[in-house]
Amino acid sequence: MTEWDIIWAARDDFLYGFANTLVIFALSALLAFVLGCVIVYLLEGPKSGPRTLLRWLINIMRTLPFLILAYLLYYGLPTLGVRLDAWTAGVGALIVYHGAYFAELLRGARVVLPGGTVEAARAYGFTTFTMFMRIILPQLLIRTRPLIGNQLVICLKDTAFLTIITVQELTAAANSVQSTYFIPLEAFVVVIALYWLISICLEVTIKQLGRFGKKRGFEHA
Amino acid sequence: MNAQTWWLLLEGAWTTAWISGVAIAIGVVAGLAIALVRMARIPVIDQVLVIYISLARATPLVTLVLFIFLVAPTFGIVMNRNIAGIMALTLNTAAFNAEIWRAAFLSFSREQKEAALACGMTNGVIFRRIMLPQMFTTSLPGLVNEMSFLIKGSPAIAVIGIVDLTRVTNRISAVTYEPLPPILAAAALYMIIISMLLKLQDMAEKKANRLTM
Amino acid sequence: MPDLPAVAIERLSKSFNGIEVLRDVDLTVNRGEVVSILGSSGSGKSTLLRCINWLEQPDRGAIRIGGQRIGVDDNGRRMPARELAALRAKTGMVFQSFNLWPHLTVLHNVTEAPIHVKGVAKKEAVRTARELLDKVGMAHKMEAYPYTLSGGQKQRVAIARALAMSPEVILFDEPTSALDPELVGEVLGVMKDLSAEGYTMVVVTHEMEFARAVSDQVVFLDKGIIIERAAPEQFFTAPETERVRKFLELKQ
Repeated sequence: MTEWDIIWAARDDFLYGFANTLVIFALSALLAFVLGCVIVYLLEGPKSGPRTLLRWLINIMRTLPFLILAYLLYYGLPTLGVRLDAWTAGVGALIVYHGAYFAELLRGARVVLPGGTVEAARAYGFTTFTMFMRIILPQLLIRTRPLIGNQLVICLKDTAFLTIITVQELTAAANSVQSTYFIPLEAFVVVIALYWLISICLEVTIKQLGRFGKKRGFEHA
Repeated sequence: MNAQTWWLLLEGAWTTAWISGVAIAIGVVAGLAIALVRMARIPVIDQVLVIYISLARATPLVTLVLFIFLVAPTFGIVMNRNIAGIMALTLNTAAFNAEIWRAAFLSFSREQKEAALACGMTNGVIFRRIMLPQMFTTSLPGLVNEMSFLIKGSPAIAVIGIVDLTRVTNRISAVTYEPLPPILAAAALYMIIISMLLKLQDMAEKKANRLTM
Repeated sequence: MPDLPAVAIERLSKSFNGIEVLRDVDLTVNRGEVVSILGSSGSGKSTLLRCINWLEQPDRGAIRIGGQRIGVDDNGRRMPARELAALRAKTGMVFQSFNLWPHLTVLHNVTEAPIHVKGVAKKEAVRTARELLDKVGMAHKMEAYPYTLSGGQKQRVAIARALAMSPEVILFDEPTSALDPELVGEVLGVMKDLSAEGYTMVVVTHEMEFARAVSDQVVFLDKGIIIERAAPEQFFTAPETERVRKFLELKQ
């Protein structure tokens, strides 16, 4: 039996880890994205106490490693009486952490969004919510598309940290297969190839979405 | 938290700092080297580097650290944990730095090069005296940004048992049975280090903006 | 309430950083009337226009759109955002820099506010938009995105967008100032047609011929004060003040 036969025999372990990674990534990326949009919506309007606080929270996330936040939720929260299982703590940490990063990159685009289109919407009687959803957010998404793509890949890679807090995702699968059969090279080659595959799919998708912006004259390159 | 746990925490911070520091130093230079080789567009080597960069950008650090640490012995190489950690961080950051350097190359204006040629400079002189200093300024914000990403990714080395600033909180709470204080303290230390880098990035950006007229 | 004026401005004052840009301005715009606001740059004319739909908040004074007070109620309480938005929807505005929404096609630029602000059915909004785009000569560009249009075309679409709200009054903020000279005519042409159709318009402009030919009333602002108001013929042939005479001489 060659090493690759062993890998094939252990395919269920890999598939389980792969599926778990995909679910964790899809769920947390989606909710983090929504959270980021909500935060940017809440930041609309003049400076105020709650908005300053929100900006602070974003900035704190930008100075923390993802794993520390996962530690905080998984090891730290039980002290305060909140006990989450590793999976929930991990997904929760991914949502909060990347939600803050999505918010930051959308906010960056909001700051430089030409004011005229927003002013026109206000003059035409749009309420703040409708204006955000129909006039502001679409433009922000078109303008930040490549950055959103980067952030998605970072989010995907951060799912691997969850192996440290005992989530059975893809990297954990490789680690358990290699330690059972002593075939680290093959086990990790498979897993790295799978990460590569997901990130290439992400990149292609994000690139395809660029057509929206191009058709509307947003991209000069 | 008492004096002893603080001391442990600072030891963890030191481990994070020196391992990251070494990886940053090698990674910046290696990134430049890779970018230079890519500018030469040597067939095969160029393709290999493109694949390396794409792979390195897609591979999670945790996975990469485990891969290096566990695979080396199968080739008969005795691998020290710290070296495995540094190698993983370096392989990762060099790929990103290479792209930053390359972008600086590609944005270098043709007019400037022509002006230098017109002054009778050789290609070597142009590179050393005109291009490199400017490339350094334009790349710096991106490089510093990448440094803070590296530090944010550095807890990955905990997975092979290196006691860094994140992992040390487990050690401390194993003794004190109070996990929250050391995690918060570690978070504060990370915030200090990375805030300084973000500040530095800000300054570098202002300086770089002065170049673009 | 057919007797109420489309816009009634009473004793409007506004300062920016302690500098008074409007002082005790009174202005009434009756239905079907075209009022041109003239004045040199910095005289406060754009600010006056932008106060009408509360894009700028005046410090003192009252503005009524079709009899309804905008921005604050008579006791000085701020109007709820939703009511303010509903009242703004009764005005149309055409900007100097067009401000079309770049992510939407020409057609959707025109249907966007009727559908999502007024709640007009989509089918009906599209039908109205087609008619209006036809009126401004832009029906052939319905599916185009704004970036593909010339300045004059953009401004004509912006005018259709304003008309789609069936506004009580259309506010024009220097609509031709950002256009290349050869494109000014097409926009002024559309505006002339609108005045002939009886639209109520308040126009801030530097186009003297247009103001003379189309206005019912010409208002001249100088340092935030209306120093002259008259029918166009009188304004242009026999101005009362030295300031206006100088201004008209320079514009010759």
